[in-house]
Amino acid sequence: MKNFKLLLSFIFMVSINVNASDTLIKNGTIHIGDGSEAFVGDIYIKNGVINSIGNLDIDASITIDAEGKIITPGFIAPMTAVGIIEIGSLDVTRDDAADYLNMGFSIFRAFNPNSTLIPWNRSNGLTSVITLPQQTSMPLAGMGSFFVLDGKMDVTGMKDMVMLGKMGASSGSRSEDLDLLENLISLGKLARNKNYEKVLESPLAEFFELHLQDIEALDKVANKKLPLIIETNRATDIKHLIDIKNKYNLNLILAGIEDAPLVLNELAQSGIPVIINPMDNIPNSFDELSSSLELASILNQAGVTIMFDSARSHNYHLMRQGAGNAVAYGMKYEDAISGMSKIVADVFGIKNRGSLVKGNFADVVIWESDPLEPASMPLYVIIEGEQIDLITRSSRLKDRYINKLIKN
Amino acid sequence: MKIINKLFTLPALLLCICINAEPFDSTYIAEPSATSLLKNANIYDGEGNEFFGYDVLIVNGKIEAIGLNLLSKANNTVEYDLSGMWVTPGIIDLHSHMGVYSAPGVKTSSDGNESTSPVTADVWAEHSVWTQDPQFSLALQGGVTTFHVLPGSANLIGGRGTTFKNVQSNTIQGMKFPDAPHSLKMACGENPKRVYGSRRQAPSTRMGNIAGYRKAWIKASKYRENMNTYESKSAEAKEIVSPPTRDLEMDTLAGVLNGEILVQNHCYRAEEMAMMIDIAEEFGYKITAFHHAVEAYKIADLLADNGICGALWADWWGFKHEAYDMVQENIAIIDQARNGTGCAVVHSDDAIGIQHLNQEAAKALAAGNRAGFNISKARAMKWITSNPAKAAGIEKTTGSLVKGKNADVVIWNKNPFSVYAIAQKVFIDGNLMFDRDDSSSKPVSDFDLGIIKPNSSRTQ
Repeated sequence: MKNFKLLLSFIFMVSINVNASDTLIKNGTIHIGDGSEAFVGDIYIKNGVINSIGNLDIDASITIDAEGKIITPGFIAPMTAVGIIEIGSLDVTRDDAADYLNMGFSIFRAFNPNSTLIPWNRSNGLTSVITLPQQTSMPLAGMGSFFVLDGKMDVTGMKDMVMLGKMGASSGSRSEDLDLLENLISLGKLARNKNYEKVLESPLAEFFELHLQDIEALDKVANKKLPLIIETNRATDIKHLIDIKNKYNLNLILAGIEDAPLVLNELAQSGIPVIINPMDNIPNSFDELSSSLELASILNQAGVTIMFDSARSHNYHLMRQGAGNAVAYGMKYEDAISGMSKIVADVFGIKNRGSLVKGNFADVVIWESDPLEPASMPLYVIIEGEQIDLITRSSRLKDRYINKLIKN
Repeated sequence: MKIINKLFTLPALLLCICINAEPFDSTYIAEPSATSLLKNANIYDGEGNEFFGYDVLIVNGKIEAIGLNLLSKANNTVEYDLSGMWVTPGIIDLHSHMGVYSAPGVKTSSDGNESTSPVTADVWAEHSVWTQDPQFSLALQGGVTTFHVLPGSANLIGGRGTTFKNVQSNTIQGMKFPDAPHSLKMACGENPKRVYGSRRQAPSTRMGNIAGYRKAWIKASKYRENMNTYESKSAEAKEIVSPPTRDLEMDTLAGVLNGEILVQNHCYRAEEMAMMIDIAEEFGYKITAFHHAVEAYKIADLLADNGICGALWADWWGFKHEAYDMVQENIAIIDQARNGTGCAVVHSDDAIGIQHLNQEAAKALAAGNRAGFNISKARAMKWITSNPAKAAGIEKTTGSLVKGKNADVVIWNKNPFSVYAIAQKVFIDGNLMFDRDDSSSKPVSDFDLGIIKPNSSRTQ
């Protein structure tokens, strides 16, 4: 225990320099995040960005010895509710559902930088997230935003940078869901000249009581390549959605897709990136009877671009346990790392993050050991060059009770 | 029954027949197994020991020996060279709803909560189990040889839980673990008060919960007393008084008071667990384990002093208010309480989690050691093997690799505390139930059969 406390005070001493302007990380095993092999080297961080990478001989105000440690980009979780749900079963702590808006619903201003999920998830290696609204009974549910998990009241992020939707969400036929999706996209196409008021008068807009914000959002999806995540598991849905993507020239991402092996070639050829939970092999509905632990490996071998979702609320960082399982069943290791970093940034147009290259924001995690081992934890989490305190509400509770136990 | 009534005019005999001849008894009989010799394996024995390069000899479905350079006398011995591989006892999950919440998770398969009354001690989870649930096979492929199926937590007292072997059978009797005691599922906190409070009936508060348990135990104590009074009468006296009327609900609760049924208590908060311990004391029963118990670490000593296991997740939290105070060290703290006399169990409550209990144990172990404990992997292996066996009342026959116990064994390609470890072979009672090298060995449920590919199974 004494050694442990020494270690703690050492970490504390380092962390009081959080505002220092430059940091040198020495001799770490660096995963850039772009799918390339790791190498041993140094990273120099100045003014919040990665200044250089290589074998560096620089005098920095903070030097971190990372010998034998793994360095990755801060991971980006693409499907979370961080900042808008504090306690799942308590509606008063939830801001993920709209009252009157549809696809125009934005969660951006509900984001709570003081949520306990932020220190928790970033102390586990997430430095930013995409936060999404709840699915609804419509094929398009609303827009999600990107947030950097620095916990600052002045929120860093990208507002309304993705639309979320789902197939089979309504109680009716999925055939009608697909029709409705196409009709909504067509409505968006009509709105390309910003004639929103006129589009609002269309029978479809009136029937669903759409608002100006909804039409504006449809315009972005239909005409301005706003990324669109559609959740579905069924193979036929995947096929039809590929057709819809091509027909309307959409920036489509598919999520779930547990029956994708049945339409593997079509999916691979479509170039559509996917978000999967590699651990969910339960045939939980009649639309996901092909689900298996090999899904990630099958998609990876077919050349599909893969990102990860964690089925467990609050612990979004556990997508790396999912990634670890994906690798255990055959996915390429570096592709799994990339699927939590550069791929997410590229797919969603998140600029200057997601990979450890010169000029990017210094969102960096130094791990005890292999980050795909869920037992491994970050030693250092750096966001925009600032070392983040790893204390969480959970660690405060632990300290309060474990010290009592050890004393007794 | 009418015929029996005529045959046995003595009501006492009738009572004995009713209570002692348990219906739905296990009919499981292990198939004869080959003699197997697992050679040069690294072993966690489930008792807290580890061995490197040792052999395990399996004879007649039982563990015969663990040692160096073992030899088999049987000439048809199947030998496995396991250099670099790992051997553990079969994984045991103390908290499963497989079979009662089968996959696909459609409303016709939602059979886990008899949420029509806050006390339903008369229902048994096993009566809901669908033997063709495809989740059983998935759990087997994750190394799970034994699992305890509980009713859900909608009710204060939800009914009996049952331990199953992860074997294929068309009857629940054929899957039931022979001679395993039933459990009684009890639930604290938010769930019962939410379910019944929303219907404007008791309980709608935590105090209502406590009143509900005590009322049930008062009734059960009286029932048991009446039964005992009657049983203690002479045969002559029994001729002239009629036996107390049997009550299924009271049979279960009296079984707890008699120590025959083990209490598995869903309970998150520290103060609620402490009150449940007082209630157990008030009515003279024992709580075997608190389940989920996100706040167990706050009263770790109290649990250790009372010999109560904590059946816990490694890191689930936040889905409801009573699950807000999660610490990743919870399992390790329970394990280390009172100089390591605590009983920690890693449970799943989830059809995905059950397949990766080794990974959950790995997270809990790492968190504990990071916080300053010095817990070995060999000890942490107990959290998913012998400790749940103890909490399910089956520790004499399974849960560790000890001579004479059932040969429930998993062979892993790597150290099972790694995310990259995959169960390669799974034995139950010495029979190879799953072999990753032989896809035809994968158990295929009736549901799985021909559903995507008419000439194949769902999973192949």
